[in-house]
Amino acid sequence: METITTLLSQQHHDCDKLFAQAEESVATTQWECASVDFDRFRAAMEQHFIREEQILFPQVENHMGHTEGPTAVMRMEHQQMRQIFTEMAACIAHLDQEQYLGLAETLLILMQQHNAKEEQILYPMSDNLLNHQLPSLLEQLHQLGNNKA
Amino acid sequence: MNITQLTLEQTPPLSVPFRFFLTAPLFGILAALLLLGSGPTIFSSRWSLEVITLTHLLTLGFISMVIFGAFLQFLPVLVGSPVPYPRLVSTLLHLLLTIGSLSLTSGFMMTQVVLIEMALVLLGLSFIGFMSIIGYSLIRTKSNAATVTAMRLAWLALAITVVLGLILGTGFGYGYNLSSLAKLTNLHLGWGLLGWVGLLIIGVAYQVVPMFQITPPYPAMVKRWLTPLIFLTLLTWSGFYWLFNLNNFSWILFGLMDLIGIEFSLFALVTLQLQSWRLRKLPDVTLDYWRIGMIGLLLSFILGLAGLIWSDLSDTPIYQLQLGILFIAGFILPVIQGMLYKIVPFLIWLHWQNQQLNILTPVRLVKIPHMKQIIPDRWARYQLWVYFISLILLIIVALYPSKLIYGVSMSFMLAFALLTYNLYRSLWLYWSVSQQLIAKSMMENPIS
Repeated sequence: METITTLLSQQHHDCDKLFAQAEESVATTQWECASVDFDRFRAAMEQHFIREEQILFPQVENHMGHTEGPTAVMRMEHQQMRQIFTEMAACIAHLDQEQYLGLAETLLILMQQHNAKEEQILYPMSDNLLNHQLPSLLEQLHQLGNNKA
Repeated sequence: MNITQLTLEQTPPLSVPFRFFLTAPLFGILAALLLLGSGPTIFSSRWSLEVITLTHLLTLGFISMVIFGAFLQFLPVLVGSPVPYPRLVSTLLHLLLTIGSLSLTSGFMMTQVVLIEMALVLLGLSFIGFMSIIGYSLIRTKSNAATVTAMRLAWLALAITVVLGLILGTGFGYGYNLSSLAKLTNLHLGWGLLGWVGLLIIGVAYQVVPMFQITPPYPAMVKRWLTPLIFLTLLTWSGFYWLFNLNNFSWILFGLMDLIGIEFSLFALVTLQLQSWRLRKLPDVTLDYWRIGMIGLLLSFILGLAGLIWSDLSDTPIYQLQLGILFIAGFILPVIQGMLYKIVPFLIWLHWQNQQLNILTPVRLVKIPHMKQIIPDRWARYQLWVYFISLILLIIVALYPSKLIYGVSMSFMLAFALLTYNLYRSLWLYWSVSQQLIAKSMMENPIS
C-alpha cells in the first residue's frame, strides 16, 4: 500500500541516482552532460522540496498546532541544500571540477542525513498523524508532481 | 511517539563528539609505542600483560572512544531524542573513559593493583553512564528498524562484556585466582568484539553503506535475520563453553564459532557486493577503508576455518592471538577510521553552516570551505596507505614473529600520527574559519 513514507522515500532514491549521474559527468569532465544532469537533479530535488513544503509540512504543522519543531528544521535544511545547489551551478558554469566535487561530497552527506531523519522519523509520524486524510494527501502529492512535470 | 518533544534540530555542540574523536588516535599512538617497547616477544603468548594492555589501549582507548562520541552525536538523529545536558554528560563520560583506560593499561603494565582498582571504578561508571543514556533512547524509540535492532543487541552484548570485564578486573585487582580465568576472558573477548562492536558495525553499515556510495539497500532478509542470528549463535556458544567440559564438546564449540564466522562473512560479502554496485564511482577513502575492513573480516573467518581443519594450526599458542589481531586491526580499526573521514569533516561543515545562519544575515553569507577542504583527500589517502602497509606487515609478523615488529610499530605510529594530524588540523581550520565568521558578524553589527 502506498504511504507518505513509501512515496517520498522513493523520490529520495530517484534524486540520489540523478545526483550520482551529475557527479560522474563532472568527474569525467563531460561538462555539457554535467550541465544537463545537474539541472535534472536540481529540478527533481526542488520538486520534492515543494511537495513537502507546500503540501506535507503544512498538514503536519496544522495537526501539531505550531510551525516550530521538526518541520522547521526540515525547511531550514532545504534552504541549506538550495544554497549548495547555487554554488554547484556556479561551478558548472566556471568548469570548476574540484570545487564541484567537494561541494557534492558535502551535499551528499547533508542530503542523506536529512533523508534519514525524514524517512525514519518524520514520514512514519506523518503517516500516523494524517492517517484519516491519507488518500487525498497522496493524491495531492502526486498531482503537484504531474503539474510540474 | 510524543511529537511535542520531537525536534530534529539536535546537533549537540561540536566539542561533544570531538573530544572523543581527538583522543582516540592518541591511544593508537600509545598502542604503537607499547608494541615498539615490547619487541618480538609480545606475540609469544596471548596471556602476556603486554598483549592484554595492547588490546585495551585499542578497544577502550580507540574503539570505544570513537563509538562513545559517535553515539552522543548521532543518537538524536536515529531515535529523535537529544542526549540531555550534552556538555556535562560528554565531559564526564570522556574523563571517566580516558582516565579509566590509562589507569587500567598502566595498572597492567606495572602490575599495580591500586591502578586497576581505580580503573574498575572509573570504567564501570563510564560504561554504566553510557549504557544508561543509550539504553533509555533505545527503549524509548518505537522504531524496529534493522539498525535499531542491531543496536539493541549490541547494547546487550556490551552489558555482558562490561560485567565480565569487571569480574575479571576484580579478580586481577584483588589478587585472587579466578578458577575460570581463561573461560571468562574468552567470553569477555567474544561478547566485546563479536557482540558489541561486531553487531554495532553491522547495524551502522545498514545505514551508511547505501548512503555514502549510493548503493542498493541490504537485502531485507539479511537486515531482518542476520544480527539476531549472530546474537543467538554467540549466546549458544557461550552456554556450551561455560557449562560443559571443553574436550567433550570441542567440535560443537568450533562449529558454533565457525557459524558465527559464516554469518559475519555473509555480511562482508554482501557489503562488498553492494559496494561494487555503487552509483558513485569516484575514489573515496572511506570506501577503501570499508573494503579493507571487509577483507580483514573475511580473512579472520578463513583463519578460523583453517584452524578447524588443521588442528596443528589452532593448537599453536598464538593462533587465537592471530585471530584477534586480524579481527581488530583488519576489520574494526579500518571501518572506524573510514567513518571518521566522513563524520569529522561533515560535522565541522555543519557547525560552520549553523553558526553563519545564526550570526549573519542571509544576504551576507560567506563561502565556507567544503568537506574536501577540511580534510584534503590527499592527506587522508597518505594515512590510509600507511595504515594499510602497517596492517600487512602486522599480519606477516603475527604469522612469523620476528624483528620486523619494530618496523610494524614505527609504521603504525606513523599511521596514527597522520590520523592525529588530519583530525587536529581540521579542528584548527574549524577555529580559524569560525573566528572569521564572528569577525564578519561584528562588521555587520558593529554595535552588538
